[in-house]
Amino acid sequence: MVEYQLLRAHSLDELLEILDEKENVQILAGGTDLMVDLHHQDDKFEKIDYLLDITAVNELKGIKLGNKKGEIGALTTHAELVNSPAINEKLPFIAAAASSIGSTQIRNRATIGGNLANAAACADSFSPLIALEAEVVLRSKGGARKILLEDFVEWPYQTIIKADEVLEKIIFAMPEGEYYSSYQKIGRRKALSISRISLTLLAEVENGSVKKAQVASGAATPFPVPFRKVNKYLNGKNFAAINPVEAGNIAADEMVGITGERWSTPYKRPALGKLVERAVEDLLEEAGYNG
Amino acid sequence: MAKLDVELKVNGEDYKLQVGSQERLLDTIREQLKLTGTKEGCSVGECGACTVIVDDQAVNSCMVLTAQVDGSKIITVEGLESKSGLHPLQKAFIEKQAVQCGFCTPGMLMSALALLNTNPEPSKEEIKTALEGNLCRCTGYQQIIDAVEMAAEEWGG
Ligand SMILES: Cc1cc2nc3c(=O)[nH]c(=O)nc-3n(C[C@H](O)[C@H](O)[C@H](O)COP(=O)(O)OP(=O)(O)OC[C@H]3O[C@@H](n4cnc5c(N)ncnc54)[C@H](O)[C@@H]3O)c2cc1C
Ligand code: FES
Ligand code: FES
Repeated sequence: MVEYQLLRAHSLDELLEILDEKENVQILAGGTDLMVDLHHQDDKFEKIDYLLDITAVNELKGIKLGNKKGEIGALTTHAELVNSPAINEKLPFIAAAASSIGSTQIRNRATIGGNLANAAACADSFSPLIALEAEVVLRSKGGARKILLEDFVEWPYQTIIKADEVLEKIIFAMPEGEYYSSYQKIGRRKALSISRISLTLLAEVENGSVKKAQVASGAATPFPVPFRKVNKYLNGKNFAAINPVEAGNIAADEMVGITGERWSTPYKRPALGKLVERAVEDLLEEAGYNG
Repeated sequence: MAKLDVELKVNGEDYKLQVGSQERLLDTIREQLKLTGTKEGCSVGECGACTVIVDDQAVNSCMVLTAQVDGSKIITVEGLESKSGLHPLQKAFIEKQAVQCGFCTPGMLMSALALLNTNPEPSKEEIKTALEGNLCRCTGYQQIIDAVEMAAEEWGG
């Protein structure tokens, strides 16, 4: 039988104090992952003595985008991202990813921090943030550490967050100069999980070529990774020399290099290749190249 | 396990309640407040039958522990009707035959109300987005979308 004591933190200090003092504490944010587990009386609740609701901790909320740096509080909901004028203007791929999640009711409660901390292979917030080379700030009573998001997940549903830490916020450098982005997603959550792939391409461009490209995918691999070989292929290339199909093939090969040949490979390989191809086509079109 | 004290304003009335650690907003509404218009369907955030409005936003009440929304303003389907009779949304649902078995209706009405409260002149796309978390097994959704459009027109002017 599931039994725990529910606690509520009203400030970051109080939250960190509780994490420091008590054992077997599970953080509760929007609850859209955890309440499903609770309903199913999941085994994970056997190890939980305290459920700590953090939704009243205002220090963990909010979006700040400057010229050089940006940050998103862990408790920011997907709806807040969708509705943020700054996000839509400067980082539209984050708004696109957020708007693809769940339904209006889910987006009103579900947080970006919960999406990352839950670390499902198909979690949609990873690819845009990895493309931004974002870091997560993990805070405990003793202080904070910054971890590159791509190093944050050890295995599906397992992150490096320690028992006394909370994911406080996500921080990143803003893309520089002229840049374009594309977010693509295929498949629905309720469909078989192999049929879900999301992809972000973010590219800084200059004088008709790609200065710096970042391609990242959710659900193509067991945990999200940047596609370095595609980045390398695109970096420094003149638009005229970029072949979207080739970029797609490189990404597909790179994915198989990470996952190995699996039963799902015959589906995922062409699907990912196509997504990358489409994203590169989008980029060329948006950048005004129609060669 | 110790109970927690919470204060809620539900459909305009203040309540002081004690809730359990696992008590969902859905349970409090149906069992403590006896407001049984709000329905439990899937219990896992997929169907929207349990939708209520918490501080102006549509949420699935099966996905929220009541203690998490201490101090909030909540509207359930019972909050729609007033002394002056049916709400324009309810009238439009009846008029457009958007209600068949009626199980999804309270949730649909709450999602639609949350939309119209913040966006009195929604586009068809915006209506679809607002209702995408509400499943209906009976109608083809078209009647429901028509009803929300009709209510928006009547209400707005
Ligand atoms: C119907 C439905 C549809 C969905 N559709 C999608 C979808 O399309 N795409 C998608 O990616 N996801 C989807 N999800 C999953 C879920 O909504 C997201 O993962 C959501 O962002 C989780 O956030 P939350 O705040 O609700 O997390 P919670 O359920 O509160 O927590 C999830 C996990 O993260 C931990 N946690 C939360 N916040 C912190 C923090 N600040 N620091 C440390 N640990 C923390 C919790 O302890 C828990 O382990 C869906 C869920 C449902 C029910
Ligand atoms: S009962 Fe809450 S969404 Fe289905
Ligand atoms: S009217 Fe029956 S489920 Fe919608």
